[in-house]
Amino acid sequence: MKRYLETGNFAIAEAAVLAGCRFFAGYPITPATELAEAMSKRLPEVGGYYLQAEDECAAMHMCIGGALGGMKVMTGTSGPGFILYADPYGWALASEIPIVVLNSGRVGPVSGITGAPGQGEFYNVRFPTQGGNYETIVLAPNSAQEAFYLTVEAFYLAERFRMPVTLLADQLVTDGMEDISVPETDAEKAQMGLRFKDREINYGPEFYPAVDKIDIPPVVLGHNTGALCSDWTPTEEGYDTEEVEACHKHVYRLIYKVRNHKDLITRYEAFALDDDPELVVVSFGTPSRVVKSAVKKARETGMKVGALRLISLWPFPDELFWRRATYLSVELNYDGQLVREIQRACPKDSRVHFLGQCGELPGVQELLTVFQSLLDGKTISPINWQREAW
Amino acid sequence: MKERTEILISGFGGQGIVRLGQIIGLAAIKQQYRVTMLKSHGTEQRGGYVRAQVIVSREPIDSPIVEDPDYFCAFSTPAYRRHVDMVSQGVIFYDPSSTEVDEEKVKKITHYSVAARDIAIEKLGQAIYTNSVMLGAMARKMEIFGKEILLAAMLDVVPKFKEENARAFEAGYQLIK
Amino acid sequence: MDYLAEKYFRIRKTPSTACSGCGLGQTQKMLTKAIDDLDLGIEDVIWATSIGCSGRQTFAMWKGDGLAATHGRIYAMMSGLTLSLPPGKKIVCTVGDGDAFGIGLQHLLNAARRNVDATVVVCDNLGYQSTGGQYSWTTPEGSVTDSSPYGMYEPNWIQDGRDILNIIREAGATFLARHMSMDGEYGLESMRKALQNRGFSLVHVIFPCITNYASTALGTRNTVNMFRWIKSRARRMDETPDKDTIWRTGVYFDASNSRPDYASVIKGKVKDIDRRSLVK
Repeated sequence: MKRYLETGNFAIAEAAVLAGCRFFAGYPITPATELAEAMSKRLPEVGGYYLQAEDECAAMHMCIGGALGGMKVMTGTSGPGFILYADPYGWALASEIPIVVLNSGRVGPVSGITGAPGQGEFYNVRFPTQGGNYETIVLAPNSAQEAFYLTVEAFYLAERFRMPVTLLADQLVTDGMEDISVPETDAEKAQMGLRFKDREINYGPEFYPAVDKIDIPPVVLGHNTGALCSDWTPTEEGYDTEEVEACHKHVYRLIYKVRNHKDLITRYEAFALDDDPELVVVSFGTPSRVVKSAVKKARETGMKVGALRLISLWPFPDELFWRRATYLSVELNYDGQLVREIQRACPKDSRVHFLGQCGELPGVQELLTVFQSLLDGKTISPINWQREAW
Repeated sequence: MKERTEILISGFGGQGIVRLGQIIGLAAIKQQYRVTMLKSHGTEQRGGYVRAQVIVSREPIDSPIVEDPDYFCAFSTPAYRRHVDMVSQGVIFYDPSSTEVDEEKVKKITHYSVAARDIAIEKLGQAIYTNSVMLGAMARKMEIFGKEILLAAMLDVVPKFKEENARAFEAGYQLIK
Repeated sequence: MDYLAEKYFRIRKTPSTACSGCGLGQTQKMLTKAIDDLDLGIEDVIWATSIGCSGRQTFAMWKGDGLAATHGRIYAMMSGLTLSLPPGKKIVCTVGDGDAFGIGLQHLLNAARRNVDATVVVCDNLGYQSTGGQYSWTTPEGSVTDSSPYGMYEPNWIQDGRDILNIIREAGATFLARHMSMDGEYGLESMRKALQNRGFSLVHVIFPCITNYASTALGTRNTVNMFRWIKSRARRMDETPDKDTIWRTGVYFDASNSRPDYASVIKGKVKDIDRRSLVK
C-alpha cells in the first residue's frame, strides 16, 4: 500500500484509474474541480483522455460518447453542474450506458455556498432526470478512503448493471484531507475487497431485452454489430417506437434490473444496534462520522442509542428500518430529505425526528443534548420534522 | 497517547495555515497514525479567518471536527477569539505580533507566547520563516510526534530553503521549555 | 427499392414515414450516394441523428451502427465518440435546423472548434415542423408559421449580411457548403468533399416541407410550387444574387485536412505524455 495525505478528490481519481477509467470529461466547479485537475494530470500518464467541456451537459454527453466507443468513463461536478446532467443522465439510463458520476455536495439552492458541505441532493440523485420510470444507484462515502473504495465499486456496478452510478460525497469528503492507502499489488486489492469488471461488447441483435437480468454487455459502437441507441423508447433491437407495450417492457428492465438485484448494491454500517436501542440515529456522508463519535460517547454514559449509516442511498434500503424505535435523521440540509424516506420505511408507530443544518457539521456535544431530549420523550421539533431553532 | 489528539490552527488567509496543518498531517502518516484534516476556505477566507482542523489517532477517526483542541495555534486576533472557548484542557500557541490574547483566559489555560515573526526576522532575516518557528515551538509540546519526524515532514511539504527552515524550526523548538 | 436503399438501409425503415413531398429523402439520398461514391461500407460509418423530422426520420435507417441524442446534444456526444471509436470509422450526422442552429449551437460551435472528425448535414426545413410548424432561426423573414402568425420578425441566422456558416467557419470548421435538396450532382460533389475532410464538415441543405411550411407560409400544398419557391431564392456561388436571394449554394469554405482533427490532437498528445511518463 502506498499512503498519502490527500483529498477525497485525489482518492477518487486514483480509484478511477485503478478501475480502468481512461476518459474523463468535466467542467470546473468547486468543490469537484480538484477531481478534474487530478484526472487531467493522471489520465494522460496511463494513455487516457481528459476533456474539458463547454458545460456540464456537454461533459456528460462526451462521456456517453466515450462509453459508446467502449471506454470506461467518468465525470464529476457539484449541485449546480449536476442539474445540467439531467439530459445526458436520462439518455444514459435509458440506453443503459455505464458511467460513473461524482456529485460533490455543497450548500444550495443554486450556487449557495461553494466551499462548505451540504446534503441537499439526496432526492436529486434519485431523480436526476425527467420522466420517471427508472431506478438509480447512488453510493455515499464518508471518508476519502471509502471514496476510493466506492469509486472502484461504482465502476464495477456500472458495468454489471450497465447504467450510470452516482457517488454522492459532501464537500468534506472530496475536499478534506486524510490518510489514504492506495493498493499496489493484486493481493492488496483483494485485501481491500475491490471488485473489477471489464467492458464487454453486446453483439445483438437484441440490445434491450425486456428482462431484469444483469451482466448483459452494453451497446458499443464501431464493431459493426448494427447496434442502435437513442433517446426514444427502443424495441428490443433498438428501433424507435411509440408503442406503450414496448415502453412498458423497456422500463420494466430499467426498474427491475436494479430492484431485483438490490442485494448487490445495498451497503450500510450498523453501530450499537444489537441491543435494539430506543434511539436510532440515521445519517450518511461526513455527518455520520460525528454521529458515530456521539453515539460512542452516549453509550459511555448509558444512553441507549445506536447508529445506522447508509453507504448506498438508492435504491433505498427500506428493509433496514424494521425496528420500532425513535429515529433521528442527521442531515446537512434544512428541508429534511433522508428523514422523509425513513418516515416512509419505518413501522408506522415509530417516532421520526430531524436535525438538519448546512455548511458546518453538528458537534458531538450538540448531538448528545439532542439524544438526551429525545430519550426523555421530548421533541426537538414542534411541527412534524421542522427544525426547532433557526 | 490519547484516543484522539485534536489540533486546530487558525489565522488569516495567506498565512500558511493549511500548509502547517498539512505538515502535521504528513508527520502523523510518517508515524503510522490515522489522520484527518479539514480546511475551511471560500467564504470564510473573506470572513477573516482560515482554519485547519487536524485529528490524529491510532484508530480510524470518526468525527473529523475539532471540538476541544489539545493544541490550538492562533495567528490572528479574530481567529483566537472565535476558537478560544473551545479549549478546555489543551494548550494555546500564539504569535503576539499578530494575536492579542484574553488575559482572563491566560489565567485558566496554558498559553505559549511564540514571537515567531520577530524571531524569523531577527534570526533569518525574513518573515516567511514564521510558521517554521511556530512549528518548532509546537513540536516541543506535541509529544505524540517525534521532533525529527515533524522536521522531516516540514521539509517534505516545503522543499525550498531547507537549511533556513530547519534553523527556524530549531529556534522555535528552543524557545519553549 | 433502389440500389442505394438496398445496399445501405434497413428494410424495416424503408420506405420512411416522411410526409408526401418531403425533401428529407432527397437530402439523405444525396449523402448516402456520396458515401457509396467513396466506397465506404456499412461498417465504416456510424450514423448519428438527433431530434425533429431530420433526426427521427433518419435514425436507424442506416444498416450499420446508429445513435440519436436528445435535442442539440449530438455534437458533444460525437466529441467523445470520436476518441473512443476504433480507427477508420466515419461519423455522419443528420440533424435539423433547430437542432444545429438553435438548441445545439453552443455544442456545434465547440465541436467545430475542436475540429471533430464528422460530417454534419443540417437538413433545414425552415422551421420546427415535427411539432407542427413553428419558426426557427432559419425561417425566412416574414414567413407566417404557427408561432409567427404576423410573419417571422425575429432576426434569423441568414439575413442582413449575417450568415450562420460564417460563424461556424470562425469557430474552426474545416469544410462548409450550402445546398438545396434538389441540387443533384452539384450537391453530391460537396457531400463527397465533406466526407473526404478529416475534420469538422458541415453541409447546410434546404429542403421543402409541404405539410407545414408550404401550407402555412406559402399557402400551397403543391410540391412543385414549394420546390420552385426554394429554387427562386437560391443562387449558386458563381451566379449573381438578386433581391430575392436568401441562399447562396455551393462550397462556402474548404480548408479540408488543413489542420489535425480533434482525436488526432488528443491522441497524439496523450501518446507523448504517456511515453514520457514511462521513461520517468
